[in-house]
Amino acid sequence: MQILNWFFRLNDSDSARNTAKDRMQKMLVYDRLELPAGRLEVLEEELLAVVSRYFELDADTTHFDLQQTERKAALIANFRLLRAKC
Amino acid sequence: MSGRVIVVTSGKGGVGKTTASANIGVALANTGASVALVDMDIGLRNLDILMGLENRVVYNLVDVVEERCKLRQALVRDKRLPNLSLLPAAQTRDKTAVNAEQMKTLCQELRNLFEFVIVDSPAGIESGFQNAIAGAQEAVVICTPEMSAVRDADRIIGLLEARKEEIEQYRLVVNRIRPNMVRNADMMSVNDVLDILSVKLLGVVPEDEEIIISTNKGEPVAGTDNTRSGLAFRNIARRLRGEEVPLLDLDVPNGNWLNRIMTFLNPVKV
Repeated sequence: MQILNWFFRLNDSDSARNTAKDRMQKMLVYDRLELPAGRLEVLEEELLAVVSRYFELDADTTHFDLQQTERKAALIANFRLLRAKC
Repeated sequence: MSGRVIVVTSGKGGVGKTTASANIGVALANTGASVALVDMDIGLRNLDILMGLENRVVYNLVDVVEERCKLRQALVRDKRLPNLSLLPAAQTRDKTAVNAEQMKTLCQELRNLFEFVIVDSPAGIESGFQNAIAGAQEAVVICTPEMSAVRDADRIIGLLEARKEEIEQYRLVVNRIRPNMVRNADMMSVNDVLDILSVKLLGVVPEDEEIIISTNKGEPVAGTDNTRSGLAFRNIARRLRGEEVPLLDLDVPNGNWLNRIMTFLNPVKV
């Protein structure tokens, strides 16, 4: 069993170690900002609505995320624009 | 003399704060420094047991603060290490028995007598913790590679950050790491924890059954040879004194030949 683990370690993204690290990183962004669950999604919807008044958007590639460097969070929003609305 | 007051804290209970305090104190005293160990876990006194000094406690920290005795009367000198003294917590009082101002005054008095004042903080983030950090200029945050411990350490770091003017620096000790579990991707590594917390590392202590034995004997591992955890704590003490000491290589294969071959072929930085 151990040897199997070892062989498959190259793609161990679902290992307990990596799962814990991922969960921690996501959780701590919310902890540090004291951001309640669901709040970010509301913001995303509102922002989308505002930008959509000015542009037609490629909804499939719109990307919205909180990232963390050195204990400081950044809001990363990436709207792919198709054309301006007049 | 103006000694350094270093608080040992963690947020979460049971991650090894008191064990770390005792061992850092012993290791520092072994380098020749004069050290006071202060048990701020008022009401849940345990540092005296780890030090094997429980039978010699006459007065305690609350007696000093409430002026029932002189500071020197309450300090229990360790006979094995005459430059190490313990200021025990009161066992029959609670965290409200001392306030932050009183703690600052006490730490100031201790700084005049000792090169290092190591304060063992209680678990939690309430008044007990706030009092424990009140007189400190440095903090050592203890954390194990478990999610709940990391989350609580993060909260503590946030609180220490907010007190930047008083707490000039804080560093992390990752305690109870199990290299075999890291190697099998079952446990977060030291670097994982550092990535998550973005904090400076003071040391890494491997999980070690010798800790249980030493606690039972009342002789901290840092004072005895031949234990990996003891060596880790001695290295931490040297780093606190400003020496550059490389981290222990925890990736030493143990167990069967298969493990040894796998470790050789595929070393993991823990």
